[in-house]
Amino acid sequence: MSGVLRVAPLARLPLAIGAIAFAFLGLFLLYPLWGVLSASILTPDGAAFTLGNYASVLSRSFYRASVANTLGIGLLATLTTTLIAVPLAFAIARLDIPGKLLLIGMATLPLVLPSFVGAYALVLLLGRSGIVTEILNAWGLPFESVYGTFGIVTVYTLTLYPYVLLPAVAALKAVDVSVEEAAQNLGSSPARTFRTVTLPIVIPSVLSGALLVFIETLENFGVPAVLAEDKPILAVEAYKLFIGETATNPSAAAVLGVLLIVSATIVLIIQRRYIAGRRFATGARVAPPLIRAGAGWRTAAAVYCWAVVLLALVPFFAIVVLSFMEFRGPVLQAAFSLGNYAELFATAGGPLANTVLFATLAACVAVLIGVPIGWVLARTRSGWTSLLDIVATMPFAVAGTVLAIGFVIAFNAGAVILTGGWLIMVLAYCVRKLPFTVRSSSAILHQIDPVLEEASISLGVSPLRTFLGLIVPLMLGGIVSGMVLTWVTVASELSSTVVLYSGPWRTLTIVMFQALEGTGAGVAVAAASVLIAITLIPIVTAYRLLRRYEFSML
Amino acid sequence: MATIAIEGVRRSFGSVEAVSDVSLDIGDGEFFTLLGPSGCGKTTLLRMIAGFTEPGAGRIRIGDRRIDTLPPHRRNIGMVFQNYAIFPNLTVTGNVAYGLKARKIPAGEIATRVAEALALVRLPGYGERWPHQLSGGQLQRVAIARALVIRPEVLLLDEPLSNLDARLRVDMRGEIRDLQQRLGITTVYVTHDQEEALAVSQRIAVMQAGRIEQLGAPGEIYRQPANLFVARFMGTTNVLPGVAGAREGSATRVRIGPTELWVHGLDAGEGEALSLCIRPEAMRVVAAGETVAPGSARLEVTVRRAEFAGALVRLDAEFADGTPVKVAVLDDPAAGAAPGSRIVLACDPARVTVFREGAA
Repeated sequence: MSGVLRVAPLARLPLAIGAIAFAFLGLFLLYPLWGVLSASILTPDGAAFTLGNYASVLSRSFYRASVANTLGIGLLATLTTTLIAVPLAFAIARLDIPGKLLLIGMATLPLVLPSFVGAYALVLLLGRSGIVTEILNAWGLPFESVYGTFGIVTVYTLTLYPYVLLPAVAALKAVDVSVEEAAQNLGSSPARTFRTVTLPIVIPSVLSGALLVFIETLENFGVPAVLAEDKPILAVEAYKLFIGETATNPSAAAVLGVLLIVSATIVLIIQRRYIAGRRFATGARVAPPLIRAGAGWRTAAAVYCWAVVLLALVPFFAIVVLSFMEFRGPVLQAAFSLGNYAELFATAGGPLANTVLFATLAACVAVLIGVPIGWVLARTRSGWTSLLDIVATMPFAVAGTVLAIGFVIAFNAGAVILTGGWLIMVLAYCVRKLPFTVRSSSAILHQIDPVLEEASISLGVSPLRTFLGLIVPLMLGGIVSGMVLTWVTVASELSSTVVLYSGPWRTLTIVMFQALEGTGAGVAVAAASVLIAITLIPIVTAYRLLRRYEFSML
Repeated sequence: MATIAIEGVRRSFGSVEAVSDVSLDIGDGEFFTLLGPSGCGKTTLLRMIAGFTEPGAGRIRIGDRRIDTLPPHRRNIGMVFQNYAIFPNLTVTGNVAYGLKARKIPAGEIATRVAEALALVRLPGYGERWPHQLSGGQLQRVAIARALVIRPEVLLLDEPLSNLDARLRVDMRGEIRDLQQRLGITTVYVTHDQEEALAVSQRIAVMQAGRIEQLGAPGEIYRQPANLFVARFMGTTNVLPGVAGAREGSATRVRIGPTELWVHGLDAGEGEALSLCIRPEAMRVVAAGETVAPGSARLEVTVRRAEFAGALVRLDAEFADGTPVKVAVLDDPAAGAAPGSRIVLACDPARVTVFREGAA
């Protein structure tokens, strides 16, 4: 009866959920990652331990350059993003900008619009035979193209700035007015108050967002795939080595994958351990009032804000406009046409259906697994829950390309064979997006008093039925918004899709990716427009929910 | 018979022993209070009865049924939480009916019992309201109705009044007491407010650092505290240093400063240092020319400060040697206790508690 193995009644449900979560993450996250790691440290026949793979990859200047390029571009993009976003955040939080609500709404869109599409639009506009390039050249202006570092950093800056903007705005608004008033009452000038009181409160949030930007750049596949050309980038080179048209080299791909995971993990640990926890809470009851600025400053601020936000959306707008024009091969004609769409749906009706189906399945499974994990993490403190927290956060640090390579290594042979089907893609999406649903669930649970669960249990409802019947309905806003975000980001997923897809299971992003290498620019633009539409519709519909539960989590 | 028997219950969190070896018997229909400062283990003990905290050792029984091994949802215990824990997504009726639905009671009976329960807490007709439309006091009533409607064997209340404002707190505690008397339900009440505990309880267990310091009826605990902790915790008290003197029959002479009083039943050797606890209201101001009965203490003090609090006037006074003493007297315009004046206080030895421990 009172043996050592007796499990306290209230610990049973968390333990059951934990067991399922560890089984899922063990099979579909740790096992594939182990596949990548072992491929990198074993001889090709798998018989012996070797560091030879690392030695041979790192002895080649091309791959050393890929490490340097990836980190260099990441740092540069993090810097430009921060420099653009912090003044924007200050203006939004503290100045009177016309159309502010719309501005904030539009500023969150780049978070969910596929950056890959943005990169593609940049090529169409400013590429070697891009529309703007040709106009500039016709005017005799020497402009070649945006390929390389400049283009990649531009796209990253314009698509990732919300990662810094949103936490910075939240932090600026969380500064309690009385803290600033206290500083001024003690004789501090407004400028000194900003420097010594306001800024230090905001800096941890800004840094935390900036590190997320850095991680995103490390893991991004689509943008460098479109814009890097000959410049080696880790995620792209790993893909080429694994899938390549010439000789494939899985162990070299695994080496690059491990390097990528290690870099992202280090940054993620810094972000989680040293910065995310240092945010100051000032217990703001009243946010500081808007600053009265002169007309000149106000105009300048308004122009700056709207220019940044609109500029970030121009590529997507351009794509939609171009999709209604006629392409002959890769060459654009100045004529309205629905031909691109006709062609897309004639040859590629499947990809839209696949995209919608996969995104829906992945969002549902991610919620089914992620919400219970979020509940356990929010409500149970124990050694094994800390471990679960770490494992459930790991997908943040794993580039999609690398996870997909691991999936192929793990499920290409042996007991479970999944390659070549759609299930492997959906499972990879679930694992990649699991941190979204886990974090959004635990975030909303922190707003639900745990004592409600005890009240329900004391009235005779079992813990499982309390969770399903009382807590899940209370969490609904957070669950739905986590689901929408998962759906949207899966729909525009490219980095693991490109490794895992097979013949009949092409998605819209694959149509676009293939068009880059071939001649189907018209279909690609139509596919991109459809993607933008199916991404925007759920976001706009659920915007109020997302604002409350998702964007505030960054 | 819903008696509660707690036998040798312990619980530690890490290295802190929150409840150490507590044994208690609570009678059927008794209003029993666990009282103590925060961190004393009272809430942990209550949560072990409810089943939300596992005892590290010991047993808990309700009547003949051992409950500490049952999952909390099978214990049939009503609980009222500190912040009410009203389900925000359900109406008042939905909240009150929640436990009945879990027990698969037929819909018709649920409706009757919910209406009865709401009438019991004086909220008839509030069934369709949403929690956010109710005041704190009303939420509290819903929480009580929700706990009682399942006809629990035992009712647990965890600091139920701490979120209400002062006036409402006094009204509500009377109401809770009346309701408990009417239903005759065995009740365990947790509070850190000694006045509240004295006002509602039949018996009180004063707890500190996981142990029960004293168990008894309110008057007993207030007037005859078992030790200095209880004396100080149960309200303002003066702890004055004294010295045991010679014995005369059953009485011992105890010297406080320049005066002395006779204490009965004290077992202390001559010359032993003692602590004397005297409640502020156990002293009275002696009118000029009045004599003090032999054996009573006659204390000459100087008033330093007089705080007028309406019905009461609180005096901060001190002895000639500077030892401070607090006195509370009923307001009397004729009494001249202005700051700086010298007054004489008399104190009945029966209202003095003597401890054989130095005043810390």
